[in-house]
Amino acid sequence: MSNSFRYDVVVVGGGPAGLSAAMTCARHGLSVILLERGRFAGAKNLFGGVVYTESVLSLAPDLFSEKRLPFERPVTEEGWWLLSEDGVVKITHTEKGLYEKPPRAYTAFRARFDPWLAQKAEEAGVLVIPKVKVLDLICANGKVSGVLVDRPRDWESSELAEVRAPVTIISEGVNRLLTQKAGLIPRDFTPEEVALSVKEVIQLPKGEVEKRFGLSEDEGLAVELLGEATLGFPGSGFLYTNTTSVSLGVGLFLSDFAEKGLKPYELLENLKKHPVMARLLSGGETLEYGAHLIPEWGLEGLPRLCGEGVMVVGDAAGLVNPLFREGTNLAIYSGIMAGKAAVFAHEKGDFGHETLKLYEEAFRESYIYRDLKYFRRLKKFLRENRSLFADYPEIINRVLHLYLSAQGRAKEEVFQEIFGLFRKRRGLTGLLRDFVKTFRFFKGW
Amino acid sequence: MKPLPKVNIDDRIFTLKYYVDEEYVHLKIKNPKICKSCLEKPCLSFCPAGVYRLDRQGEITVGYQACVECGSCRVACPYLNIEWDYPRGGYGVAYKFG
Ligand SMILES: Cc1cc2nc3c(=O)[nH]c(=O)nc-3n(C[C@H](O)[C@H](O)[C@H](O)COP(=O)(O)OP(=O)(O)OC[C@H]3O[C@@H](n4cnc5c(N)ncnc54)[C@H](O)[C@@H]3O)c2cc1C
Ligand code: SF4
Ligand code: SF4
Repeated sequence: MSNSFRYDVVVVGGGPAGLSAAMTCARHGLSVILLERGRFAGAKNLFGGVVYTESVLSLAPDLFSEKRLPFERPVTEEGWWLLSEDGVVKITHTEKGLYEKPPRAYTAFRARFDPWLAQKAEEAGVLVIPKVKVLDLICANGKVSGVLVDRPRDWESSELAEVRAPVTIISEGVNRLLTQKAGLIPRDFTPEEVALSVKEVIQLPKGEVEKRFGLSEDEGLAVELLGEATLGFPGSGFLYTNTTSVSLGVGLFLSDFAEKGLKPYELLENLKKHPVMARLLSGGETLEYGAHLIPEWGLEGLPRLCGEGVMVVGDAAGLVNPLFREGTNLAIYSGIMAGKAAVFAHEKGDFGHETLKLYEEAFRESYIYRDLKYFRRLKKFLRENRSLFADYPEIINRVLHLYLSAQGRAKEEVFQEIFGLFRKRRGLTGLLRDFVKTFRFFKGW
Repeated sequence: MKPLPKVNIDDRIFTLKYYVDEEYVHLKIKNPKICKSCLEKPCLSFCPAGVYRLDRQGEITVGYQACVECGSCRVACPYLNIEWDYPRGGYGVAYKFG
């Protein structure tokens, strides 16, 4: 086979995880090919989304010398909006620190951020090849030595091309098909282990993002939407401001969509029609709709991160923290760690599990793994405490309404009504139980 | 549960850019008989692109051209009756924003 199909490292998937791994290897002098099935890196990817600056700086230290940053707005205000059927209680936070340079986080689009990252990877020497789907791994005796792609080997033959490398890094995203083929995880995920999210990018008339959300040109809002946004099902919506548009989305466990017969786009429409949201979005035009899964299998579903000649990074391993909107950054960090292990393996000239496990070891020392452990009961907690989504946003809205409209009434009655509300919706023991459970969960017990 | 507002999913799909692969159908029903006996037919609701629909005879049709490749139907069809693959390299949905 011709030399041109042999590399030091082959990376499958041009999301942040793969691009970071590839870049790390190339910067250490390895020859790296990255295969991406989309028309360009980012073409298949969709997120909320907020990108944390620190993770991007760890790849591109000269980020702020760029003529045009690959982001929309810095995030200067964030928090939660608790939606009742027709009202909202907003809990958002801002402070001077959020205005300091560089900003901690930015809103962004994946079809713009990923291509930018891909360009950085190319500048580092990575050969980025889009429009190529990896069909399978080349495996012999449990050892991975490259991949099979959906392109003919050359013009004359119809035989499929192989790309060989002593190290294969799988960064295929949430649908972890190759990770399974590599034997790193024994089974597919279930609909209980992923969230399905839909999103619309809604363009607002000129100057309206600033006006409606109380922002200046270099300020941005990022809020999670709870309660009515998900009809009280475990999950959340999100509203992030972009330069001239907003990203509005909602996600639930896939199993809830399937079992309740809910159409994701109708759930999103319900959110758009919420009286508070409808006012904020009026006159808006949907520029793009889309959908994507989020891996939420957590520690339970964590694959082995490396095998013989192979490693898995990012969403394919399930490295997200939905409570803290972390995913892109974890993809980047895991990519860098795996990249370093690949470099080490090439220095040693050994590509077995014993060598690549440098990645697994670094991972186990990182906060990503600590968090996975800490939040290992997240899914169970969310499922068993539906009232956090179904009752509390509604109760909190009612309570504030009663309190704020108490003028002209005996306040004793108002307070009785407020207490009655809690008692009716949750009962006193229910309240106590919810409190204790939530406390225990956040203590990591 | 309260009824949700109706949406014509085609209006949403319309905002998306696709490079449709006319030569390769990447989603197939493995066994149409199983669909007939599948009472709930959840694919009609959970698929975010409305790929699965009923024709006049009450049979499931697969409009693979609209698929956004999320992977939901791969695992959420209760009978795992969908033969699932990505489109060939370069084909399928291409987000402009994402
Ligand atoms: C609705 C939503 C909101 C989110 N919000 C946030 C947020 O606000 N902040 C945040 O940090 N994270 C967020 N995330 C999570 C974040 O998007 C992911 O964690 C991150 O993109 C994972 O990166 P990755 O590189 O591992 O995978 P991906 O970005 O999914 O990349 C995988 C790549 O592999 C390619 N690929 C797959 N299979 C093959 C194959 N066989 N051959 C060739 N190429 C292949 C794909 O085309 C894709 O480009 C969100 C996710 C969703 C769905
Ligand atoms: S859910 Fe599966 S078995 Fe049921 S109708 Fe849809 S494709 Fe057929
Ligand atoms: S992959 Fe997603 S969008 Fe495509 S048909 Fe399946 S559920 Fe629908």
